[in-house]
Amino acid sequence: MIWPKLERRKAALVAARDLRDAVSELRLILAMVGLTLAIPMGAGSGVRALAAFGGGTAVVDRLSLVGAFFVVFIPASFSLVLALESFVGERERTTLEVLLSTPLREAEIYAGKVVAVLTVSLTLCYGGLIVYCLVAFPGLGYFPLGILLALALSTICQVAAMVAGAVIISLNARTMRAANVMASFIILPMSVVLQVEAALILLGRAEFLWCFALLMIVVAIVLLRMGFNGFSREALLARDAGLGHPMRRAMGVVRASFGRRPAFLRLIWMRRIPVLIAAAGFPIGALAGFVAGSSSAIPPAVVRPVLSSLVRSAGGGGAVEEAMAIFAHNLLAFLLVALLAVLTLGLSGFLLTFAPGFLLGFAAALSSWTIALSGIVPNGLVEIPAAIIAGGLAIQVGATAMHMDARGGWTARVLAALADYVRALRWLVPALAVAAVLEVWLG
Amino acid sequence: MLEVEGLAKRYGDVLALQDLTVSVEEGQCLVLLGRNGAGKTTALRCMAGVLLPSGGMVKVDGIDAADDPAAVRARVGLMPEVPGLYERMSVKAYLDYFGAIYDIEPNTRRSRIDELLEVFELTDAGDRWLGTFSKGMRQKVALIRATLHRPRLVLADEPTSALDPDSARRAWIYLKDLQRKGSALVICTHSMEEAEHLAGDIGIMSAGRALAIGNLVELRRRSGLKMRQEVREMPTLQDIYLAIVDNHRDLAEVRTA
Repeated sequence: MIWPKLERRKAALVAARDLRDAVSELRLILAMVGLTLAIPMGAGSGVRALAAFGGGTAVVDRLSLVGAFFVVFIPASFSLVLALESFVGERERTTLEVLLSTPLREAEIYAGKVVAVLTVSLTLCYGGLIVYCLVAFPGLGYFPLGILLALALSTICQVAAMVAGAVIISLNARTMRAANVMASFIILPMSVVLQVEAALILLGRAEFLWCFALLMIVVAIVLLRMGFNGFSREALLARDAGLGHPMRRAMGVVRASFGRRPAFLRLIWMRRIPVLIAAAGFPIGALAGFVAGSSSAIPPAVVRPVLSSLVRSAGGGGAVEEAMAIFAHNLLAFLLVALLAVLTLGLSGFLLTFAPGFLLGFAAALSSWTIALSGIVPNGLVEIPAAIIAGGLAIQVGATAMHMDARGGWTARVLAALADYVRALRWLVPALAVAAVLEVWLG
Repeated sequence: MLEVEGLAKRYGDVLALQDLTVSVEEGQCLVLLGRNGAGKTTALRCMAGVLLPSGGMVKVDGIDAADDPAAVRARVGLMPEVPGLYERMSVKAYLDYFGAIYDIEPNTRRSRIDELLEVFELTDAGDRWLGTFSKGMRQKVALIRATLHRPRLVLADEPTSALDPDSARRAWIYLKDLQRKGSALVICTHSMEEAEHLAGDIGIMSAGRALAIGNLVELRRRSGLKMRQEVREMPTLQDIYLAIVDNHRDLAEVRTA
C-alpha cells in the first residue's frame, strides 16, 4: 500500500485551524461536553445503584460493560456531524475552494481535517469512558480491562470509518442538506456494526471483541484510503458544471453501464480473481464449520435451528411447490447478495459460498462428511458453481465500490459492475431452476 | 510569466473551455470579459494549477501546470469570485493562517498583514470575526489573502464587484502597484470601467472560446465599429464588447461534443 506524500507541518496547520473552528462555538462545546459527562455519570451511577441494591453479580458485570459501550457510542456519533461540517460545510461555503487554490497538497488538507475531527471525537469518547470508569467500577470488584481496551480500539476505528464516510459523501454532496440525507448510507451500516459490537459485549468474551476491533481496523483503513483517493481538486471543483437534467444524466449512466459489456464466459475469465476468492469461500467455510462443530465453539443448539429452518423453507407441499420454494429461496439470496455488495464492500459475495460451506462442515462435524455431502448432491453440482460465479461478481461489485478515483466516475464504475451481475443472472437464474428441480426429484 | 497554449477543459460531456491561447508578461495585465458561463472562471482555475487542463498547456514562470501544479499554485495568487472566508476567525488570524500556508516567515507576515490592512482601511477591524464583515470588506480580505505572498501571477475573478467606487479605485491602485513591482495580472470582470482602467490586453470570451484578444485599438478594429456612420464618437469598450459578442451569436451556449 502506497501512502501519500505530505508535509506534516502543513497538515498540522489545517488540523489546528479546524480544531479551533470546532471548539469556537461555545454552545456546541457545552452541549457536547455536557452530554459526554452527564451520560457516563448517569450510567455509572445506575450500575452502582444496581450493585448496591442487589442486582446480582452477573447482571451488574454485564450491565457495567453495556454502560461503557453506551457512553462511548454517543460522542463517537458526533464525529459524523463534525466531519460532514468540515468537508461538506466547507465545500458549501466555498472556503474549501480557497484552500484548494493554495500550494497545499490534497493529502495535507485531508489528513489535517481527519486529525481535527478524530481529536475532538476521541477526546470526548475517552473522556466519557474515563468518567464512567471512575464512577462505575471502584468498589465493584470487577474491572474488565481487556474488554475496555478492545472497546477503545474499535471506537477509534468506528470514528475513523465515519469520518472517511463523510469525505466520500462530500464528493457527492454540494450542500449540507444533501449530505445529511446521504449520511444514512453511513448511519445504517454503522448501526448494524454497533449492534454486533453490543452483542459481543453482552457475551463478555474479550477475544471476540479483539477480533471485532481488528476487523474494524481493516474497514477503517479501507474507508480512509477510499476517502483519500477520492479527495481531489478535480473531483471537488470540476463537477460544478453539467448539473442540469439529473434524471436524464442518471438514465444515461445506467444505459452506458449495460453497453459494451463482455459476454458471460469472457466476463468470468475477466473476473477470475474474485471468482476464485468466492470459490475458496466454500472449502474455507466447510473447514470453519467443521472446526466450529467438532470443537463446540458454537453450540449445536445455535446452528441446528438454522439448518432446520432451511429444511422447512423448502416447503411441505407437493414436489412442484417444493422446487419453487427452493428456487425462490436461492434467487432471493442471489439478489440480496448483489444489493448488499456495495454496502458490505463485497463481503456478501464471499458469504454466498462461505455460509453454505460452513453449514456443510458443521453438519459433517455432527454426523460425517459422507452424510453431509450426500445432502448437497446432485443439486450442488449446479448450485455451487452458480453461487461461486455470483459471489465472485458480487465481490467485484464490492471491490469497485471501495475504489475511488481522483477523476471521479465512481457511480459509473459501480453501475457497470452491477450491470455485469444483472446480465450474468440471465444464465444463473436458469441454473438455479435446474438445481431446484434436481434437488426435489433426484436429491 | 504566463503562457497558455490551446488550453481546453472538459467536465464530462461539457466542453467548458477550448483552444485558449494567451500570454501575459511580467508587469502586464490581461482582462477577460465575457458573460456568465463563458469559461472565464475555468480558465483562471486552470491557470492557477487548481484544475488540470484536458488539453493544451499552461506554464507559469516556466513551470508546466500539468507537471508540477503545486509549484504553480505557490507562484500564483487566486482570488475566486466568492471570497470564501472562515466566519469564526479574526481577519488577522485568517491572513496569518494563509501566510503560514505560503511559508511566509512569521515576522514578515505580521508586518505585511498590518501594511495591507492599512492599505485597505481594515486596521480597526483586524481583531473582528470575518462573519461580521460586510460584502465589500470580505472582498478586500480576499484580495489581501490572494496577494499576501507577493505572487508572480495574480488571478482575480471580479475583484471589485462588491466594492464601493472609492474602495474599488483603491483596489485598482493596489493592483497597478503590484503590476509595477513585476507581477502579471489576469482579471475577470463585468465592469468595463475596471477593464479600461487596468487592462493592457483584453480578451473577450464566449461559450468557452476567446473571440478576440488584443489591446483596445486592436479590438476596436476587430469590432468594425469604426466603419459605422451612426457612431459619431470613438466607440467605448462597452460598444466594442457588445459588437464582438453579437458577431458570434451563433456559438452554442452549451458546448457538448
